[in-house]
Amino acid sequence: MDSIVNNYRQYHNTWDEMFTEEGSIRELYTEFGSYLESVPVENLNKMQEFSKQFFMNQGVTFTVYNNKKGVERIFPFDIIPRIIKEKEWKIIQSGIKQRIKALNFFLKDIYHEQFIIKDGLIPANLIASHPNYIREMRNVNVPKNIYTHISGVDLIRDKDGEFYVLEDNLRTPSGVSYMLENREITRRLYPKLMPKKKVLPIDNYPQLLYDQLKTLVSIDNPEIVLLTPGLYNSAYYEHSTLARLMGVELVEGSDLVLKNHNVFMKTAGGLKKVDVIYRRIDDDYLDPLSFNTDSVLGLAGIMEAYRQGNVVIVNAPGTGVADDKAVYTYIPAIIRYYLNEEPILKNIKTFQLSNTDEKNYVIENIDQMVVKKTDGSGGYGMLMGKSASKREIKDYIRKIDLKPENFIAQPTLSLSTSPCIINNELTPRCVDLRPFAVFGANGISVCPGGLSRVALKKGSLVVNSSQGGGSKDTWVIKDD
Amino acid sequence: MLSRVANNLFWMDRYMERSYGLLNLIKTNYNSTLDSGDYSSWNNIQKTYMGIYKSKPNDEYLDTISIINTMLFDSENPNTMSNIVIRARENARSVQEHISRELWLSVNKYYLHISNENLSINFRNSDPIEFVNEMLQFNHIYYSVADITQERGNAYCFMNLGKYLERVVQSIEFLSLRIINLNDKDQKLSESFFWKNLLISIGGYQLYVKTYKSIFNVENIIEMIAINENFPRSIRYSIIKLYTHIERLNNYNKLNDRQLLFHVGKLKNSLQYSTIGSIKKIGLQKFLDEIKHDLNNISLHINKIYFSQSY
Repeated sequence: MDSIVNNYRQYHNTWDEMFTEEGSIRELYTEFGSYLESVPVENLNKMQEFSKQFFMNQGVTFTVYNNKKGVERIFPFDIIPRIIKEKEWKIIQSGIKQRIKALNFFLKDIYHEQFIIKDGLIPANLIASHPNYIREMRNVNVPKNIYTHISGVDLIRDKDGEFYVLEDNLRTPSGVSYMLENREITRRLYPKLMPKKKVLPIDNYPQLLYDQLKTLVSIDNPEIVLLTPGLYNSAYYEHSTLARLMGVELVEGSDLVLKNHNVFMKTAGGLKKVDVIYRRIDDDYLDPLSFNTDSVLGLAGIMEAYRQGNVVIVNAPGTGVADDKAVYTYIPAIIRYYLNEEPILKNIKTFQLSNTDEKNYVIENIDQMVVKKTDGSGGYGMLMGKSASKREIKDYIRKIDLKPENFIAQPTLSLSTSPCIINNELTPRCVDLRPFAVFGANGISVCPGGLSRVALKKGSLVVNSSQGGGSKDTWVIKDD
Repeated sequence: MLSRVANNLFWMDRYMERSYGLLNLIKTNYNSTLDSGDYSSWNNIQKTYMGIYKSKPNDEYLDTISIINTMLFDSENPNTMSNIVIRARENARSVQEHISRELWLSVNKYYLHISNENLSINFRNSDPIEFVNEMLQFNHIYYSVADITQERGNAYCFMNLGKYLERVVQSIEFLSLRIINLNDKDQKLSESFFWKNLLISIGGYQLYVKTYKSIFNVENIIEMIAINENFPRSIRYSIIKLYTHIERLNNYNKLNDRQLLFHVGKLKNSLQYSTIGSIKKIGLQKFLDEIKHDLNNISLHINKIYFSQSY
């Protein structure tokens, strides 16, 4: 029979989430596969259109300014969910917990005694010269010894079918509101399929987050606020959604004032003390007295209030030193050092270009490499050896030679693919997975599933929303 | 509640009320030109509501259509319908945690409707009254959704402050622009459609006819718009509402500031003891100027107490 399922053409040499190499449907997708075989593609198109309208009406959008005229855009969403077995999820979950726990120990150590450097596991200059290592945080005792309250760990599945960690995001990672909205819409798209598949729920994430934030202070009813850069930030939708769902105040820097090293917000009824600040602005903009002096997004003097223990900042300033691409290589060692455990989730083989042997190897095999700047993010400033022109490569190598310690290289990965509805066809697109973890005094909890980001361009490996990426709902289904 | 949020809630409703007034004005003025053929009436409206001072001859039906089109969609002019709704929605977007989900959806849908590029193209091929009525539906939905879904707390009070302050301003404008200069000897005063259109534009035709039957004169209109207690667009009605919400805000926020309440209360009472006779005695212009002066004072106090505190 000619159906969109039969016409599915897999990428070569790539793991597909729904189909085996031979082209048959994997067991966990059985019901979904027969659903797709039975439903006309026009209906799927309608569902796609419906979800677009749903996001528009709800205002799940960001504004793009063209010729002074604001245009509302939605982040592209694909209706076919990505499914993961609970058994596999449990491994991911414990792997993430292990990583976050170790990274938190690592942060505490490098901002205090620095045993890991003294024991020679990590070169001192890596930390000392690190742009995200914040000297103001030296010897600051952070509440409950937690630095990485909220994190998103980016995972990919390589062709061998195993999950690898691509990146740890410890600096206010975004995307969790899309995870929630994607679930909201898929619930309605598959009213019969979803309950049958026993998908683990995620909608308690805001409560989970609130409960964890509450544990950071020993006050009965702490005033928790979410600090946003404002309405024109592309993630504003997320900020306002989280504030709304947690029932906390969404504040801007200008709403806050400092009095006797305590943080207050200006309300219609006068000043009100703030106890916990979940900030969605970068370290650099947090306090013009300590960091970027031009910033008006934060609050002057907030770092001193923090050091005195009068307010909790979430995540703690200075976590950026633990999630960048240069430290990434050392994470397996970090896990062994602090936890005396073997890493559950694997790292991708990474070459440090500051090491001459490794640099030479990378340049010789540049067509199989992805080269990245250690302080880059969002998919910018990287070189894909496979697709770059000779000239681009030459220019890039010149940049590397200038400052090799700013670069790392990884062998070109094949991200696994998941089927998407594009142009009336079921067609594979590369996906990654960003589960979200929350760390409070009650320990670490990971929300089952997370955000599956999709590279919507054919053959592309770049899933970042700023570069044509979209997303999917992620179902973790209960084992029978 | 944050001062910034309070201020944005205030402006959200103020813009919604303004858009409502503007639409009604457009609709009825268009309607009256169908009776009178007097297209020059647009010049005044454009001056007051759009800040457009170049008066044009406007002697054609087609001029009217393009004037309405400008008033609805001109993106360069900050006072057009589309820009007012964009700002109402922007304010709503910044206070989503404080308004009901349904209210946000209703503002957002209005915004999506009015910023759809096909809309202004369709306008040229539609009946303007029908077209404006469709837009008015969004305002009606907004009011009723606010009524049945919005919790009665700080947010609701600030929204109402914005709404009624804007409404008073509109009613004062109405009296000072369209009534004060009416000359008893004017030919058009003998045309019943003139009175009808005038009253419809402020939404008071039905009540007027019920109260004064079909006796049309300037005094009755002033009485109804200035001091009628039951007409929801009268100055007095709006001031009573302002008083109610300011009193509630004082209680919610445990403020000791009695000055604001004093000013509104004073205005409320002076309106309560005004009659058409007393208004005529001091003159309508002076009567309106005094109210404007009081409103100015009230606005300043609202600003000082709730929106822009300095510590």
